[in-house]
Amino acid sequence: MTVVHQAVVGAGPYDAVSEQSRAWRRLLSGDGIAGGDYAGQVDHGARDHFHRLERFSAAADDLIVIRYSAWSHALARLLELPNPKLLVYHNITPPGYLWNHSPGLAVQCAVGRMQLPAFARGARVTTADSEFNAGELYAAGAESVRVVPVLFEAGRLAPRGHAPEGDGPLVLVVGRLVPNKRHDRVFDAFAAYQRECEPDARLLCVGTALNPGYAALMQTLADASGARDVRLAGGLAQDEVNAAYAEADVLLTLSEHEGFCVPLLEAFHFGVPVVAAPAGAVPGVAGHAALYTDGDAAVTAELIDLAVTDTELRAELERRGRERLEHFAYEHTAKSVREAVGEALA
Amino acid sequence: MSGPDDALERAREAAAAKRRRGGYSGLNEGADALDPTILGEKAPATLLSEWAVIEIEPALLYSTRRGGAPVTALKRLLMRLLRQYFVELEARQTRFNLGALAAISEIEQRMNRLEREAAAGSEPE
Repeated sequence: MTVVHQAVVGAGPYDAVSEQSRAWRRLLSGDGIAGGDYAGQVDHGARDHFHRLERFSAAADDLIVIRYSAWSHALARLLELPNPKLLVYHNITPPGYLWNHSPGLAVQCAVGRMQLPAFARGARVTTADSEFNAGELYAAGAESVRVVPVLFEAGRLAPRGHAPEGDGPLVLVVGRLVPNKRHDRVFDAFAAYQRECEPDARLLCVGTALNPGYAALMQTLADASGARDVRLAGGLAQDEVNAAYAEADVLLTLSEHEGFCVPLLEAFHFGVPVVAAPAGAVPGVAGHAALYTDGDAAVTAELIDLAVTDTELRAELERRGRERLEHFAYEHTAKSVREAVGEALA
Repeated sequence: MSGPDDALERAREAAAAKRRRGGYSGLNEGADALDPTILGEKAPATLLSEWAVIEIEPALLYSTRRGGAPVTALKRLLMRLLRQYFVELEARQTRFNLGALAAISEIEQRMNRLEREAAAGSEPE
């Protein structure tokens, strides 16, 4: 029987890497492939799916899928096993963003980026979930990289929780509160939009914070921006996030470093226009279906206003968004996953 | 037609028009507030000196569970009980860090001096 195990550095209830592990497991299980999913650190909300990596055991010919998003001893030890390995590179945040805010994570990221060549060498098949990440793998010395995008399961976007309170246009930001996501720029652009275009606008930021200190810093910056009706909601259950998308007038992402950015596809699914900074993998994923800002907060505010008020523009963005969703359709990506797994097992 | 391809230009024109009328005043005063905290590939020497002294804030100890307040309180109590041990640990690590930093600084100064001497020696007389 074919067995494929997956290993990640840390597993949580909401993060994209854990979610992809679950999505691959559902696909593999449907194909009759067994195996377990393991993580170096398992958050309370992920214990139903992930086992601790220290309990990892595998037969010699079992395939190990290593999802690389930071370094850990436990993950590095897997390279020493004789098993065939498939590397999925999800990108590692440059540590410069983290030294001041989370030294421990910064160390994991710094070592992770330094050790990327070793992980690329140690895998039989090397994959990245975006062209941007593939570029980093090539720069780390990988000879051949398959681009296997995020396995996008639209079904999880169906359940609806409570809609956010309020009536004004809703600007939605989805992503962890971490420095590279540049929520400081979000607050300034939103404050400008609220002051100059739509006084009743609301801003909802969904995503867990790096740590309580960083959450407090973001709240301070949000208050200092002068914006009203700003809610930093933390991590929300999927049905609550879905309700926010269904209510949203625009998705805003001003992130400076992105390895993929799943919220782009989620916004396209809900027909929500996207205003984004063209950084990292964002242009590769969103293509021509997003409005890109030049970084000026006033221009970002005007783009939000266009996305909210111009019905013709919204319709065209929705159409282009559907095209991007076809590009990332589940069956296309599932085929790429099966090919990568098949090559690694061959 | 109002399409996505000319949206950036339209947004720039709208922003410029509002600025001419006095709009968007005071904008960017608090912008890029995170910039000073984002470092490049290498941390500056001044920060290294700051980081060398290990002193962990008790506020950094918390639980990530939902309703984890009692767990946070328990962890902080344990830390207080083990304070004597942690202070010793911090002191030993700081001792090593400062020693290593001083050694690196000395090597850097020697290297600079040697480079200056080498450059002076290679100049034509």
